[in-house]
Amino acid sequence: METTDKSLIDAHRQGDKTAFEELLRRHGDSVLGYLMRMSGNREQAEDLFQETFKRVHEKAHTFRGTGFKSWLFTIATRVAVDGLRRRRRLQVVSLNQKLDCANGSGQESGAVVVVDNSCEPSQEAIRAEQTQQVRQAVELLPAKQRATLVLAYYQQLSYPEVAEVLGCSIGTVKTQMYRALRTLAQRLPDISGGEK
Amino acid sequence: MKPHLTERELIEYEFKLASDIQAEKAAEHLAECRQCREYLEQLKRKFAALDLLREEIKVSDDLISQVVEQTPRPVQPRVVSFRKPAWIGAAAAVLVVALLLVARLGEDVMEERKFAKGPSEPAEKLRSELTAETQIVSAEDLAKDAATRTTFALARKEKEAGKYLERAAIGEAAADVVPEKPPFAPASAIELVVLPRRDKVQLTIYNSADLTLVRERRNLTLKKGWNWLQFMWANTLIDPTSLSLELLENTDKIEIQQLVFPARLRELGRWLIRSETSGQVPFEITYFTSGLSWRAFYMGTLSQDEKTMRLQGYVRVGNNSGEDYEKAQTRLVVGKVHILDQIAELAKRQYPYGRPEVRVDFDKDLKVGEELDRSAWYGAAFGQVGQIVDELRRKEIIKEGLSEYFLYTIEGTETIADKWGKRLLSFEAEDIKVESLYKYDQERWGSETIRFVKFANDEEHNLGDTPIPNGEVKIYGQADNEGHLSYVGGTSVKYIPVDEEVELNLGPARLAKAEPKLMDFKTDNFMFDRRGNIAGWDEIRTWKIEITNTRTLPIEIEITRGFGTAYWTLQFDDQEVSYEKHDATHARFRVNLEPRSKRTFGYTVTTYHGVREETLAEKN
Repeated sequence: METTDKSLIDAHRQGDKTAFEELLRRHGDSVLGYLMRMSGNREQAEDLFQETFKRVHEKAHTFRGTGFKSWLFTIATRVAVDGLRRRRRLQVVSLNQKLDCANGSGQESGAVVVVDNSCEPSQEAIRAEQTQQVRQAVELLPAKQRATLVLAYYQQLSYPEVAEVLGCSIGTVKTQMYRALRTLAQRLPDISGGEK
Repeated sequence: MKPHLTERELIEYEFKLASDIQAEKAAEHLAECRQCREYLEQLKRKFAALDLLREEIKVSDDLISQVVEQTPRPVQPRVVSFRKPAWIGAAAAVLVVALLLVARLGEDVMEERKFAKGPSEPAEKLRSELTAETQIVSAEDLAKDAATRTTFALARKEKEAGKYLERAAIGEAAADVVPEKPPFAPASAIELVVLPRRDKVQLTIYNSADLTLVRERRNLTLKKGWNWLQFMWANTLIDPTSLSLELLENTDKIEIQQLVFPARLRELGRWLIRSETSGQVPFEITYFTSGLSWRAFYMGTLSQDEKTMRLQGYVRVGNNSGEDYEKAQTRLVVGKVHILDQIAELAKRQYPYGRPEVRVDFDKDLKVGEELDRSAWYGAAFGQVGQIVDELRRKEIIKEGLSEYFLYTIEGTETIADKWGKRLLSFEAEDIKVESLYKYDQERWGSETIRFVKFANDEEHNLGDTPIPNGEVKIYGQADNEGHLSYVGGTSVKYIPVDEEVELNLGPARLAKAEPKLMDFKTDNFMFDRRGNIAGWDEIRTWKIEITNTRTLPIEIEITRGFGTAYWTLQFDDQEVSYEKHDATHARFRVNLEPRSKRTFGYTVTTYHGVREETLAEKN
């Protein structure tokens, strides 16, 4: 019999660390996926991930017993929004930082960065290029629209669940979703390969 | 026919944003309208691009372990009681529970750590142990739990057992083999993994050419497999052809394959690295850059009697390279370097490739005059990084001789930001014996008397440890008894080797004058040839030189007189003055003057011309 999220949280509150690890394994992938799509950066997403589960641990007693996923994503969203806002506020542009580098992200000139790529040529290269365009298009969305899109589309939360996570009405969620899609319709690459 | 659906209506329909009624109407319309259906298909294809981001994202075991380890004991809701007896009772209860929890947590933590570390035994052994453990635990728990409830521990252990087996199997089967074929790296498919800062940086700045060698040490996080390391030099003066990457550890497991300058991408290069290990690895990157420079300058303060001098040497390091160098160990090289291309020009090229023949590297293009000592060059360029000393005391500049070069190493580290300059004390020597001398030489300086300060770069003069690099020198004198200084003069000095004398030309003197006057001129001793033409004669000139010293110190003045011929004789009317033959055509004499005094002396010079030259030669 599958243990419920509630029983795991209860066990955790009783001091069972294995329960917390179980929760991490159960929901870690989707939370990390959400945070990666929110931040666009694995390293930052992992930081936010740690912060999210730290807060889950701290706020475990506030969990009401139903809708664990919504509760979890509510925390993750707050952490992501706080983290992204803080990052924006603390972003210090170095005198030698360049913004016109190849991949569009600000990098220190003369700096060495490790890039990893295991793609094959041709199709994979094109696909990678398109993926990057999609990532950029999503990253450029305002935070609330991005959160709505990621939760509803990628995390496949229902609109009421998204509304609960974001603490707003379903109508607002739908409006945000529509605005996000309207913007993306202009920015997404055509991946049909010329098919009409 | 109803009007076509708008883009908004189609998006709302597709993503279930519309109300049920609106959705129903849209569905009805789409069933009838081919055009709208096609437009909807177009939109679907467009939004299908979103699925490119649906990659499977997995949380690593390390990250989970990290989170679990960072999590302290769960926060219990706080219970507050207002009644004292109850409070005491609650406190006692909490204490007991806490003790029990600590004991239990201790066991759990130990257990967690075991799991977090993962399998350390060979896969087969691990598999059998874990399987056995699972069976035993299951049996025990089933016996204990009559209601057949699965405990968290059981669930976890079963899952862990499965996970470990899976992990072990993967480890056995795949063994993380690094593919032989290097990956293709399109410009847009770069994944940023780390952005390491410089751990150490060393600058070797040459003063004779616009050339600086930079050695940077960074810890890079490599993944097992193929890695691309990207280096960018936009808006800097780095010479991309000089880039070099050296591995400092794990040389047997990591191989630097090639440096690529991708087509159409400006101002960046990528190293392809094959790594059989993952984690942090220290690398050293070296390259040449332009825009960093240094120059020496000196300040000399004469004592009141002008017999000794205090000399302070400084170096000023300037940075216009476009790059900040934080906490850099800075080394300054004295000596001439011949380079075939200006680094600044190489740095400005659109692409770093295309002209391999102009490449500047250590072996081919750097020469020191005609006698380059390569070991010295490498020594200067790639010497050991000195120990970094970050103290607030004045930094010492350590000097070393390296064949044609001389290397000055500034103690500790310096932060040299772009567009900034920094002045550092190079050396300081007290009580350098100096000779103040005034010189008068009409052929060189006209009617001015020039002041010199003379000393030697040797031990006797409290110097002589190192050569003194060329630079500007300013000399100050004591203006009064209170120690106020007055500017005496300034000049530039050339490189002064050890044990060499140096005379600092401080410019025209106002308080010491020499004025020669021609008092008489006659010709004599004419000789004629057989036809009665003049074949030789003497010219006799009588000069009077008046020397004035308006200073409060005694001075010595050196007067050089030229006669325009090598055949001359000289007679003084003052027995105290004598001369020395400076060269074939010049005589030089030194005269000492008391403070605020004037002295006049005369001399007669006879020059011999024509066949009279032979007469003089016979006399000598």
